Formats: sequence, structure tokens, C-alpha cells
Amino acid sequence: MLTCDEYLTPTSLDEAFAAMAAHRGRHRLIAGGTDILPWAREGRAGDVDVPVLIDITRISELTERKVAAGRVRVGAATPIQRFLDDKAIATAMPCMPRCAIWFADDQIREQATIGGNLANASPAADGVPPLLAHAAGVELASKRDGRLMRRLLPLNKFILGSGKTALADDEIMIAIECDALPGYGGSFEKVGHRRSLVISVVCLAGLVKLDASRRRFEDVRLALGGVCPVPQRLTEVENFLRGAAIDSGRLERAAAMPLDFVQSRTRREYRREVVHGFVMRGLINALRRAGADADVLKPELEAAYA
Amino acid sequence: MPDLRIDAIINGRKVSRTAKPWQRLIDFLREDLHLTGTKEGCGAGECGTCSVFVDGVLVKSCLMPVAKAQGARIDTVESLGRNELSVLQKAFHKAGASQCGYCIPGMVMAATSALRANPFADREEIKERLGGNVCRCTGYQKIVDAVELARDVVNGRISATALEEEETADGRFIGANVRRLDAPSKVSGALKYAGDMVMANMLHVQVLRSPHAHARIVSLDISEAAAMDGVEAVITSEDVPGVDGFGVFVHDQPVMARGKVRYVGEAVAAVAAEDVVTARRALAKIKVVYEPLPAVFSVEEALRPGAPVLHDYAPDNVTKHIPVRVGDVARGFAESDLIVEQVYETQAVEHAYLEPEAGLAHVDADGVVTIQSPSQNITHHRHMLARILALPINKVRMIMSPVGGGFGGKEDMIYQGMLAILAIKTRRPVRLVFTREESIASTAKRHPSKTTLKMGLTLDGRIRAVEFNMVCDGGAYGLSTEGVMRKAAILGAGPYNIPNLKMDTYGIYTNNTPSGAFRSFGALQAQFATESHLDICAERLGIDPFEIRRINAMRPGSKTHTKQPLKSASLLAALKAVAQASGWEKGPPTSRGEARRDLGGPGNRPSCTLGSRIDGAPGQARDEVA
Ligand SMILES: Cc1cc2nc3c(=O)[nH]c(=O)nc-3n(C[C@H](O)[C@H](O)[C@H](O)COP(=O)(O)OP(=O)(O)OC[C@H]3O[C@@H](n4cnc5c(N)ncnc54)[C@H](O)[C@@H]3O)c2cc1C
Ligand code: FES
Ligand code: FES
Repeated sequence: MLTCDEYLTPTSLDEAFAAMAAHRGRHRLIAGGTDILPWAREGRAGDVDVPVLIDITRISELTERKVAAGRVRVGAATPIQRFLDDKAIATAMPCMPRCAIWFADDQIREQATIGGNLANASPAADGVPPLLAHAAGVELASKRDGRLMRRLLPLNKFILGSGKTALADDEIMIAIECDALPGYGGSFEKVGHRRSLVISVVCLAGLVKLDASRRRFEDVRLALGGVCPVPQRLTEVENFLRGAAIDSGRLERAAAMPLDFVQSRTRREYRREVVHGFVMRGLINALRRAGADADVLKPELEAAYA
Repeated sequence: MPDLRIDAIINGRKVSRTAKPWQRLIDFLREDLHLTGTKEGCGAGECGTCSVFVDGVLVKSCLMPVAKAQGARIDTVESLGRNELSVLQKAFHKAGASQCGYCIPGMVMAATSALRANPFADREEIKERLGGNVCRCTGYQKIVDAVELARDVVNGRISATALEEEETADGRFIGANVRRLDAPSKVSGALKYAGDMVMANMLHVQVLRSPHAHARIVSLDISEAAAMDGVEAVITSEDVPGVDGFGVFVHDQPVMARGKVRYVGEAVAAVAAEDVVTARRALAKIKVVYEPLPAVFSVEEALRPGAPVLHDYAPDNVTKHIPVRVGDVARGFAESDLIVEQVYETQAVEHAYLEPEAGLAHVDADGVVTIQSPSQNITHHRHMLARILALPINKVRMIMSPVGGGFGGKEDMIYQGMLAILAIKTRRPVRLVFTREESIASTAKRHPSKTTLKMGLTLDGRIRAVEFNMVCDGGAYGLSTEGVMRKAAILGAGPYNIPNLKMDTYGIYTNNTPSGAFRSFGALQAQFATESHLDICAERLGIDPFEIRRINAMRPGSKTHTKQPLKSASLLAALKAVAQASGWEKGPPTSRGEARRDLGGPGNRPSCTLGSRIDGAPGQARDEVA
């Protein structure tokens, strides 16, 4: 069980930084708590006493959401469920609603935050592949010598390994930023032991943009999670498809490209097979949602990977 | 340690109280406000029994620090149907959606949330929206039926009279849909399970458990723990007054480890303290020195000559061997045209009842030690406990609290002894509630089994001989192993006429978590082997799998393998019904026809998808209702 002597709920960044400075080395940030609370149980960390917990969810800047001038900015304390039910965000980030529906369950999505998901940096964090596909950046802030410092790190520079990030212990993650990608078709494929409440054995985020003919890829973005310490973009596959005409042979060849990402210690063969199927399915689903011309996407192909 | 101030509107009433900074919302609701309709099935976000509304949004209160409730409006299951059950609660009652009931308040909350979000949700969407809630009893179908029924009443498609009890024809109940009498108490969250019960001046118990699979206890020092503020008592096996030992058949398990531990998770000592946190901190202060012993983790290791011995009384590590002999198998095999031999293995299975073990004990005014717990075997427990406590039986009382799922897993008296001793020692009521992890680590599992099955048949599919050898991992203590082996031996060869049978079942001690009773009590593991084997034999003989069973089926007048004459036998009727209901296409197991395809055939489920909410048919009415 998780115990603490003090639970602080600052409502401004200033208050939060003051609390962090006052309890330096004795505090831990908490957002939704959906990673921290289960972590402090038998079989994992066991009973943990953190002298001071600092809850960052009532700091307004951390819950703001904005889509403007082709950019999306989402506060770090945004619950996952908002990616499903906030229309503006869902349109600008087409694979996020698909990711959200697979994330935990209806209740936990209202509690779990996107910032917590990134900061926890699990290899199976479902929020990471879609945000990598969006080329998202993470804004971190600290107060040093009385001055508010902010830095924006690309997500792939923020997550450094399983459970490791570039977050300094006097920093708070403020927001996630990325390009708005309306008009892209988005997909999120996930497999675990069951549908809800499950850790991804493999997950894949896909984003596809078509050219005016609706028969050719203008842009393709794929990112894979669950199989390596840090989720990865499939840049080679993306390059192979970008600008190409959509045809089943090319999709098959793309999915068959050797992917040496699968580093998990368990069920490697299974994971490799799933990755192959997910690249196909992720592309097909994203193509369909991007409005690909009906006769380039053969129904047999769709059925085979449905 | 500054307490938190919590001002909130809880079930419509203003609440202003202090809370400990580490408390979760579920602790505040259950322990401080006694709103025990909110259950703790797992404490880790996995089961949904703790679901409550916070500002109208359904969350899991086991994952929410209570500080987040400051200023919020909180609605628990107790807020629903205050004067009269809500439509959903009535629908759960009508549809027979509650069994043990432990998951039901959470289910009702999740369903309420689902229908608020979309009173036109289809079955698929309902299932998705209930995805965060686990039920171990119902198989979910009736729960989803209930939500569909409520949905149609809520959205006006059908009249509320559909929620009323159906008339039973002239008072006959067999064949009629009868509502369960206990359902209202479950759908409302009013029913108190042992972990929901409190008594004035009650202490909280926590148990120190072994980290070793097999070790000698060199020394056990409780002095520092016992001296802590807030700790009332610390007990070990030395505090057991009578004959220390329990088990459904052999009494080989001490209340707490005596001299040595035999599995990871075995109770070593127990603490009773003013609150759970103090009790847990006291556990950390108990000093145990172990000397690890060689351990055995499989039946093969346990049966090897010279293997480490778990119990002195069983130097061969055999808990129980049950033989059954009919006819002469050597002759039967000689008469056979086909002999098939295979090995079948099954694994340990956790019961995972939604209610973790819990019990409340006190000594009443007449000196009667009274224990309330979801025990599936109170009379036997009472007898064993009287011996353990060295009390006359009329000074021991066992009350069976509502069982939030048992499935056989609550037949073992693994914690009631500690509670009784602590109640006697402290003269205060004591309560122990297991965590989910503790429940999984320390309680019985289904026996892992390994069966070597040799069957001889004639070409027309008649069984001539069976040699059946099943070896089960009984784990560190006997529990129900003896009975499980007996049942496996009696029923394992199936409801088939077998003229020559040699059946042996063995329960073996190992240093694994003890195995015990679990639905079907050994028959399942054995039947898995027998039924799989019949399919393989049918394939080898080119016979329809239903046919091979019909050919060999026991009929009225047949004798079972243990010589019981059968006055009636329903296997043939059951086979017929199954063949019909499944649309069985005749042919040996390997044949593939129009209906018997692997995937995509009629009645097959589509592959696993989610997102009916995103992809739902456009134009569907989705007005929000309050
Ligand atoms: C039953 C269950 C099911 C789950 N299912 C899924 C799933 O399907 N997919 C998935 O990806 N995850 C899943 N999770 C994990 C978890 O819900 C997510 O990782 C969630 O996004 C964590 O967010 P949080 O706000 O709850 O984090 P918290 O537990 O509050 O914090 C996690 C970590 O992040 C740090 N942190 C949080 N916010 C900030 C910030 N703004 N700045 C700096 N540091 C911060 C905290 O200090 C802590 O170290 C599940 C968890 C449970 C219990
Ligand atoms: S989800 Fe909260 S107790 Fe299981
Ligand atoms: S009725 Fe659902 S767990 Fe028992």
C-alpha cells in the first residue's frame, strides 16, 4: 500500500514548484495515480511510503486543450478519455480515439492521464506509439533560481528506456504538443489477453494521408509498442510506402520488411507474426478511414486482416 | 502528519470530515462512512467492484486518493434506488443477473454509467462499456441481458411492466423464471459480506507470510512488533492452545507455520492492531530467521527417491493414492484392434472469486468464540477449531457470512484459526480482510494434473480397456486432495461402459501453493483427458465423436466403474441435445463441411475488436439522458 505524510494539491505552477522545492528529495508527483497506486502493492514495490505526494491535476495549465494554427496542445494532466470524446482533439489526432478505446477501461480512462502514461515510460504504454506517429513533443518546466524554465523535447528524446525518461526531479511535464493532422486516416491495433484492462503484447498506431487521387499514399506514419524497451517509428516501412500507389502487393511487401524491433524476452515468434498482421491491418484500417478509393482496397484483403 | 479536510456531497448529503492523507476514496467510503456497497475486489483497478461516480463520472475508487474528492459530488451504489430499486437494479433482479453478488453493485454502477452515456447502446457497446468490471459467477450473459432490458425500459421502447415478476402457472416453480429472493440485497449493495462488517472496538489483523517455499524457522522474534503503539497482539504457532492442525481430510496444516514453512505465502505470524497501516508496519518488525531447505516444485521431483520430504507422516510425499480395478486390462488390450496412449496435462487455476477472504471474530458475553466468514464448510470448521482452541464445541460458533464467490476455494480453514486466537487473546473483535494478492498467493488452487491414458478399442468403436494414471500436484498441504483424488478416480473414466479398467489417481505433496477443491473436484482434470482421448480415438477410427460416445454410453441398468447400478442415465439425451443445439454436422473429427469450418462459420464470433462507439451506425439516436 502507498502511504504518505502529506498529500498536497497545488492549483498553480508556482505553488507546485514551491512545494517541490520545499520537499526536495522527499516528494513524488502524482496525476491520476493509476500507475503509482498499483505499483505500491505486494508483488511489485510492496508497501511504499512517500513522505509528500504532490498532485498536479488541479493546475489549470495542465488540463488545457487547444487546437490552433495547425498545432495541438494538450495539458499533461488530460485524462485519456478526452482523446475519445473531445471532437476537436479527435479530429486533429486521428489515431488517438482508437488508442483511447483500447486503453484500460471506461473508468480508468477518466482517471489516467496522458502525462502519467508518458512519464511512466512503460514499453507497453499505449499512448506512446500514436504520439510518436504524431511526432509529438513534450513540454517540461522547472523553476530554477526563481525563473520559470520551459523546454520542449521530442517524445523520442524524452523516453529513454523502459521506465526511464529525461524528466529532471525538479521538472513537471506541462503539455504535449504536435502537428494537427486532420484528414489523415488513423488506426490503432492492440492485442493482449483480453479486450479491456490489458497490457499490450503488441500495439501499433497508424496514420495515412492520401493524395488527391485517393489511390496513392502521400504520407504514412507507423509506430510500434509492446515489443521493445521504447516504442519505435517504422521509418523504413514508412519510406517504402510514402508516395507509392496503393496496391495489395506493395502492402504485403511493406508488412514483410524485416523488422528487428521485437526484443521482448517472451513470445518472440508470436509477437513477430502479430507485428506483420498489425502492419497490414493498421494500414488497411487507416487507408479506409482516410477515404481510399474503393477499388484499390480489395475486399478480400480487408477480410483477411479484419 | 497533517490530516486532510474533505468537504464533499456524498449521495446528496454534505459531508465534512478529516481523512488520512494516504487514504483512497474507497477507504474513506467504506471505513469512515460505512458505505460498504462499494466493494474492494482487487485494489488495483482490475475488477470494477469499487466503481463510484465522482462529479457524475464513473471512476474506480481504489485508484483514487481521497484528496481528489475534496469539493466533489460523489455518488455510490447507495444513491441509486433509495426508495425503490432503480430500473437497472430491477432489471438485474428480473434477469437473474446476480449470483454471489459481490461484483453486482459495481456492475450496476457501470451499467448506470453506460445507459446514461447512451440509452440506445447495442449489446456490443454495452459489453464494451462494462469492460472494466469482472464477474466470476455469471458468465456475463445475464448481466448484459439485464442491461438490455433496462435500456429498453429507459428509452421507452418497452413498458416498465417488463421488469415485474412473471406469473408462475398455478404456483409451479420448476420450468418457470423465478426471481432470486436475495437479489434485491445484492443489486442495492445492502448485503454485508464479512469484510463489510464492523464491530465496536474492532482491531485489524494482518498476516506475515513466508517468502520461502521450504525453510526451517530458526528463530521468530515478535518483541519489537508487539511493543509498537497501537499493536494489541502478535501471535505465532506458540499461541495455539490445542491440537494444531486442520484440513478437509488430513489435519496436516498448522494455523501458522510450526517449525518450518512449506510454501511461499504460508502464514507465519499474525498481528492485531488499531488500524491496518499499524498492523502492516508491525509485520515489518517481526524478525524471522529462516534456514532454506531443498524444495520440490513438481510431482516428478517429489517422487524421486531421496527427494526432500514435506511431512514426516508421508515419507514418500504421497498425500493419497486411490486405485479402482475392474476386469483385467491385459486381456482387454489383447482384444483391442486399436490402442492409443497419450499424456494430458492441466495447470493450476485460481478461483478468483471477487470477494477476497475476510473474517470477523469476537468472544461473546458467554465466552463463545464467534467467527463470521464466508466459509463453505462451517460445521467441519467448527469441529476442527474446537480442537485447535482446546474448547468444548459449544464454545465455538461459526457463522457463514454471504459468500462472494467460493467455487470450492473457501472450504479451507486457512485464517479462521488466527482470528479466533487473536479474539481470545485481545478480548476485542478482530477483523482480517485479505488483499487480492494475498488471496492468490496463500489459498488453494485447482490441482495441476498429469494423466497418462491408454485406451484399447475395437474397430467399431467399443472401448475394451482403459489404463488411467493421474498424478496431481497437491502442493504443500493436504486440504481437499484426498477427496479430489477420490472423485477423479470415481468419475474420471467418464460415463462410459469400460469392461476392463485400471485407474489410479495420486495426490502428491510439493512445495507449491496447496491445491484444493475447485468446481467439479478433480473430475474436470480427469474428464479433460478422457474426453480429449475419445476425440483422438474417434479420429483414428474414422468415427463421429458423438457416435463413439453413444456406442460406449452408460445406459439405465449400467453399472458405474465403482459398481453403482444406474436406475437412470441421461447421457444419450444430453448428447442428442448438444448435437442439435450446436448444429453438429456428422463425420469424424477431421471432417470439414459447410458448417464445420474453423473460422467465420455460422455462429462463430468475429475476431476481437473494440470501438463500436466510434464506428457505431450513424444516425442512431444518442441523446444524453440525465
Ligand atoms: C487496471 C489498469 C489498466 C491499465 N490499462 C492500461 C492500458 O490499457 N494502456 C496503458 O498504456 N496503460 C494502462 N494502465 C496504466 C496507467 O493507467 C497509465 O499508464 C496512465 O496513463 C498513467 O497515468 P496516471 O495519471 O494515472 O499516472 P500516475 O500514476 O499518477 O503517475 C505515473 C508516473 O508519472 C509521473 N507523472 C505523472 N504526471 C506527471 C507530470 N505531469 N509531470 C511529471 N511526472 C508526472 C508520476 O510521478 C509517476 O511517476 C493501466 C493501469 C491500470 C491500473
Ligand atoms: S477495481 Fe477497484 S477494487 Fe478492483
Ligand atoms: S455475481 Fe458476479 S462475481 Fe459473483
